[in-house]
Amino acid sequence: MAFRGRGRGRGGFGGGGFRAAKQEPFELYPELEDLGTAEYSTRNLQLIKWYSNLQKYWNSSPYYYEGGSERTRNVQKPDVERLSDKNSQVANAKPPLWHFIKLDIDHVPAELARGDKKEKLGSKRVRWNPESAGMHKLDLFEKLEQKHQGQEGKENKENEDQEEDDERNEEEAEEEFSDEGDYEQNEYFDDDEDDYNMADDNDDEPFF
Amino acid sequence: MVSQYGIKLATYLISFSYGDFCSKVCECLLSRGSLTLAQIIRFTELSRENVINCLRVLIHQNCVQAFSIQQEVAFGEAPKIVTQYTALFDNMIHKMRFPKFMQIVSKELGEDCLGIFEGLLQHGRLSLNQIIDRNKQTPDNSDVHVVRETFSRLLNARFVERCPAPEPFLAPHEEETPAKKRGTKSAKIAEAPKTIEQRALAAAAPMESIRFLMEIDTLTGTSEEKGMESQNIAMLDEKWKQDFSDAELSASGKKKEILWRVNFEEFMRRLRHKACMEYVIARLSDQSGIVLSAILELTRSSETRLKTDKSASLSINDIYDEVIKKDGGLGMDFERIRASLVQLGCQIPTTGIDETYSIDLKNIVELAQNEEVESVVLKRYGREAYRIFRLLSKSGRLLETDKISDTTFVEKKDTLKILYKLWKDGYLHMEKVSVNGPKQTLFLLWEMNKEPLWLRVLDEMYHAALNLRLRITYELDQEKEILQLPKEKLIGELEKRYKRLGKVRIILETSLMNLDDALMLFRDF
Repeated sequence: MAFRGRGRGRGGFGGGGFRAAKQEPFELYPELEDLGTAEYSTRNLQLIKWYSNLQKYWNSSPYYYEGGSERTRNVQKPDVERLSDKNSQVANAKPPLWHFIKLDIDHVPAELARGDKKEKLGSKRVRWNPESAGMHKLDLFEKLEQKHQGQEGKENKENEDQEEDDERNEEEAEEEFSDEGDYEQNEYFDDDEDDYNMADDNDDEPFF
Repeated sequence: MVSQYGIKLATYLISFSYGDFCSKVCECLLSRGSLTLAQIIRFTELSRENVINCLRVLIHQNCVQAFSIQQEVAFGEAPKIVTQYTALFDNMIHKMRFPKFMQIVSKELGEDCLGIFEGLLQHGRLSLNQIIDRNKQTPDNSDVHVVRETFSRLLNARFVERCPAPEPFLAPHEEETPAKKRGTKSAKIAEAPKTIEQRALAAAAPMESIRFLMEIDTLTGTSEEKGMESQNIAMLDEKWKQDFSDAELSASGKKKEILWRVNFEEFMRRLRHKACMEYVIARLSDQSGIVLSAILELTRSSETRLKTDKSASLSINDIYDEVIKKDGGLGMDFERIRASLVQLGCQIPTTGIDETYSIDLKNIVELAQNEEVESVVLKRYGREAYRIFRLLSKSGRLLETDKISDTTFVEKKDTLKILYKLWKDGYLHMEKVSVNGPKQTLFLLWEMNKEPLWLRVLDEMYHAALNLRLRITYELDQEKEILQLPKEKLIGELEKRYKRLGKVRIILETSLMNLDDALMLFRDF
């Protein structure tokens, strides 16, 4: 009986025992052989830049919808409020949707339309050029362009444009923003008009 | 209905550009078909306000179209009119291609048109006034007249069109009552009767006559209109803020502003022509490429729909006049042009009196598609599989295993193995036939069905494109600290990482653009 028990125990251990699973680090992109090499050419550089600029614009525009009035209530105040924070938040705030989208019944379906409360919108109010849309965020391709400038002379003109862009934005912006790909939630002024805040917005905006 | 990975790719693109709320709404509409507002709220579990704002953004960005239909009601009740929303899948995928559109505009019309065009891409829809206002805030602040003129150049080239109607009403069909829930919408007859979404898009689209028209002069000559010529320049500014149109009176009786958007159809047409030309140049000859590009340029404006089978007919003289204007076309004479036309698949008419030619574009597109799929088979399964696949694709009917093996000079058991592999992965269709003779034998017949295979290939490409986009995001995310540093601090190790990131991004984005060409080849061309 003892043998049987021991045998079974051994069998049990050998057959159904659990060994600790070997811990392997999880690789999201493991190396694969036999894939070949991809093409590297800079003739599409301009296309990549354009796409990157479009993306940045969308992410900083009110089209990147981050939720309605719930957001404004849930905005986290930093531990120590500074005066510069107040300025940055207001300046960073995205303009409301109705600045850009015509919400009257002629242009959207009836159930999505808003009454014409704020029809008259002075052209100065609408901010077409977002100041912190990353125009002076680190542009990956400026550097690459400069690298290629030595090899291809044609990049000269583009560099000039980039430098002009940089100068203009340094004049306009009040602080350095370093938000490449930053989806940090900014304060969202919702549709319900808040005249006090709107006026505030105007004062802090740089004059275009 | 869109394939599985198509939905995932579209949802990802929307989420990346417009946030998670919008992408939830998109995913709901793409997977479930057209829905009402209440249904969307229920399925996405978002708040009403959020769904409404998402729909506003999506409609404005041309990703969703609304329409109203009469809902089936119980006997005795008054018919109810509901608004439904349908997702525009192709427009969502077009967002990946916006840089290619910008390239076309920049090459053909120049930088000032590109500025306006970029605004339209950013915002989806703009009125002329908004375009003018926006232009004032850009560095090249031009005069109103100049902006209008630039805009009309875009309009003449058909790169821009009027926006569709926001909520067309679809009258109920005579034969069948309009579907009220998504289930019944799956039409049992798959062909001629349009789906409700197609009807909605057709009803919403502006009439061809006004689609590219900036202003319509009304015959109800108001004094303002007549006064346009006599007013001085300062006042014209005000007058131009009203677009006169008797077809466009708004609900309140005032004239409503026309919104403009990018005309995706025109860009797809141009890219289709470009793809055909590249194929012809690569496979046939440069000269044929020149002839084809001449023909396409002349016939482009007469194409009524995107996927035209044949180009319009042109006489040999017209072709000749256009060809000699092109680079490299100067030395071509009639005989060379005729030779190229034969290469392109035309027949030289024997009578010679009325010598007109038209190119079969559908054929060129099909050849390019075949080549693409065959190259995938070659890469994945090897040369012998490639031969077998080509045989099946050319024969277009069921072939038996032995016959395949004999024709392609492949060993019988290898043939069988390859055929099984291809069948398992969905490239081929198999049928078993058993013959009751002296010996009961089982024959295996194989066939390549284009339609389902093309859909599979397309889905795989969507999957690959999604993977590429995810990888790009991942790589940028990994190095985001480096991207936040100012340029001066990038030295040594950091600089190396930065340069690597630049290279990686270029490689990935270039691959994505090439893959996108193939996507368009299978979906849009």
